[in-house]
Amino acid sequence: MQRIILVLAILISSLTYSQNYTVGAGEKLTFTASYNMSGLMTDLAQVTMETSEVKTSKATLLRLKCTAATYSKWDNFFKIRDLYESYVSPRTLTPYLYKRDISEGGYYKFMQYKYSHKTGTVKSLKRKKRKDGTFWNENKNVSIGSATRDLVSTLYKLRTLDFSSYSTGTSKSFTVLFDNKENVVNFKYLGTETISTNIGKKTCYKLAISINNSNVLKGSNDNLLWLTADENKIPVYAKFKIAVGSGELKIKSASGLKN
Amino acid sequence: MRKFLVILGFIAAILAVVLAVTPLSNIALIPAIVAFILGLAIFYLSKKQNQSKKVVQYIFILTIISIGITTYKSVFNEVEVGDTEELQERADESVEDSKEILEDLDIEEIDDIDMEELDGLEID
Repeated sequence: MQRIILVLAILISSLTYSQNYTVGAGEKLTFTASYNMSGLMTDLAQVTMETSEVKTSKATLLRLKCTAATYSKWDNFFKIRDLYESYVSPRTLTPYLYKRDISEGGYYKFMQYKYSHKTGTVKSLKRKKRKDGTFWNENKNVSIGSATRDLVSTLYKLRTLDFSSYSTGTSKSFTVLFDNKENVVNFKYLGTETISTNIGKKTCYKLAISINNSNVLKGSNDNLLWLTADENKIPVYAKFKIAVGSGELKIKSASGLKN
Repeated sequence: MRKFLVILGFIAAILAVVLAVTPLSNIALIPAIVAFILGLAIFYLSKKQNQSKKVVQYIFILTIISIGITTYKSVFNEVEVGDTEELQERADESVEDSKEILEDLDIEEIDDIDMEELDGLEID
């Protein structure tokens, strides 16, 4: 009898674990990205994270869209207009299609991943701009692990984890496909912390981010992410340490939350 | 010693003015403060050695200009996003394009995959 209860408990917990009760369609989060050098802050860009519903003849999908746009004072210097998209299953946040369309100070790049989870491959398309303004494409088949996701869907998937059951120091790792390469990103749970944000004082789950075999992010436990400790688990604050100075991402507004 | 300080002071003051003109105007405060301190140091050295204090004036003028520009910018420049119409257009086009691609993908099949497989590893 005990064994049956145990098995049932595991089954139920694994079911609730993989389901998405956090992210719904119509959610819009706006952030301010800023750069910090010796305590002097400079606002760089506005980052938005939006979700919406996309219907095809066969299924309804969730479109996760992230954009970054520099503030007008920067546009003459270094204009950034980035668009990241991921089309995922609303139930499990499994990605089917990922698009990255970036335009950063004259540099243009487009990446598209078409997932085939059954065969464990991704059809990747890379498009870049030549100096004379023409484009060139590169098609590739990349084999991926069963748990591999793209950057955008990983960010959202992170929010479906049940941090309240975690003990301080627990790590969770995700495999993220970026530039046709799989990277392992670790999130370490550091407990809860109450911080004041633009949308009020929030109790948050504090997470430390690190990437295996990468030196983009400097220091250990210096790259932090705060998710609200409620049903929505929205990111409200993030801090990154890079080679020179540090970057920050602060929430400006949040609307259309599911819970 | 005085000469060395004068050179440093000028470099800091000019750097402050240059940074104040760029969008990074906040960071111009660092060289501006350095230039101000160097200016004071040069002033006292000049007084002690009975030398001309003219150079101090130049450094101070540059520092005041850079701080003036920085303050003006931080007070009057509103932080706002530039034109995002083109980005919006790209996003809209992308949705249409994505819909076509998604029609070709076999989604239902994928949705049945055991999600346990897709979840990350947990390490204590």
